[in-house]
Amino acid sequence: MMRIARRALGDFGLPLAVVVAFAASALPARSQTVPERDAIVSQLSQFDSAPELDVAALRQRVLDKSRSRARNEPEPSKRPPIVPEILNLPTFTVDIHFDTDTPVVRPDSYQTVGRLADALVNAQLLPYTFLIVGHSDSTGRREANAILSQRRADSIRDVLANTFKISSKRLQSLGLGEEQFVDQEHPTSPANLQIQIVTVGKVAESEPGQTLAAPPPAAKKGAKAAKKK
Amino acid sequence: MVRGGTFLVAAMVATALGATATPVWAQTTRIGSAEKMTFGDAAALVAQSCGADIEANCRGVNFDANRLRECLSRNTDVISAQCRSDYLRAFDAIQRRILARVGVANACTREIVKLCNGSTKETSKSIPCLTRAQGVSRNCTQAMDDAGYR
Repeated sequence: MMRIARRALGDFGLPLAVVVAFAASALPARSQTVPERDAIVSQLSQFDSAPELDVAALRQRVLDKSRSRARNEPEPSKRPPIVPEILNLPTFTVDIHFDTDTPVVRPDSYQTVGRLADALVNAQLLPYTFLIVGHSDSTGRREANAILSQRRADSIRDVLANTFKISSKRLQSLGLGEEQFVDQEHPTSPANLQIQIVTVGKVAESEPGQTLAAPPPAAKKGAKAAKKK
Repeated sequence: MVRGGTFLVAAMVATALGATATPVWAQTTRIGSAEKMTFGDAAALVAQSCGADIEANCRGVNFDANRLRECLSRNTDVISAQCRSDYLRAFDAIQRRILARVGVANACTREIVKLCNGSTKETSKSIPCLTRAQGVSRNCTQAMDDAGYR
């Protein structure tokens, strides 16, 4: 099915060997649905107010918790969320596949990242800043999971900023590891490997002219335009 | 000779008709349709044409336009023909869409200043206004489409 779709999309010159190799390399268990740009835009544009998020401090808190050796640690599904604030913010959750234990995005997820970029340059989302949140499931070492999820969130931020030139001022990244799950009830679920994009604020309002050199002409032109209208 | 001449005239008439029938902006869209891909489409093209080649030859290289392009060109003699013919086209489409943002500042100068009270130095601040404003020129609208703002 997937193979047919791929062939139909490409020129028919695509050698069969490539098709087979590609199909074989795709993860069979987790089928990936590529989100539509407009779905991302409408979800992430429903933003009311900005909470105070100190991302650097949060990163540290995740690391500290992931190293915690306390005897009375709750089991994974009972861990209190480390950033409850983001639970109430506009969030879009996407399936992005990475190479095992690395932050390298697999080709079968390129389109998804491209769609994210398409959404982020859309006029409706231009005024906002975003937090890219990485997670992990509860298998493996807790600290390694925290570190890997941070590297993966960084990786998505880098792709958006470097490949698609989304202003890095609009993007922050945070790896929550297994300190806060996507699916709290099921800490081992693959749903916890997803990446979340969260609208966290508005682009800093630097009044045109205030930081730039020439405020008076800009103001004058504005006044004229208002009169003409 | 005569037949050839008739053909030439017919072709010229056809071209002229074609040119008058469709406005210039529509034509550029059509001619450039191969290049004007969304980021999602361009990314899908890279994955579809080069996914296997990337997995085989560029392991550990992230979806970074420069590094990936560099890796694929370094492996140009072993990658598939499909990949070879598509990857530059796809990355060029991404690049063109990024550069089109500068085009908005040029094509929409009047609108940015007069309709949106903004500055062309910070075009992106005016985009939400521009997409809603009345009386935006066709050129400006086209430029916003090329940049993926609408």
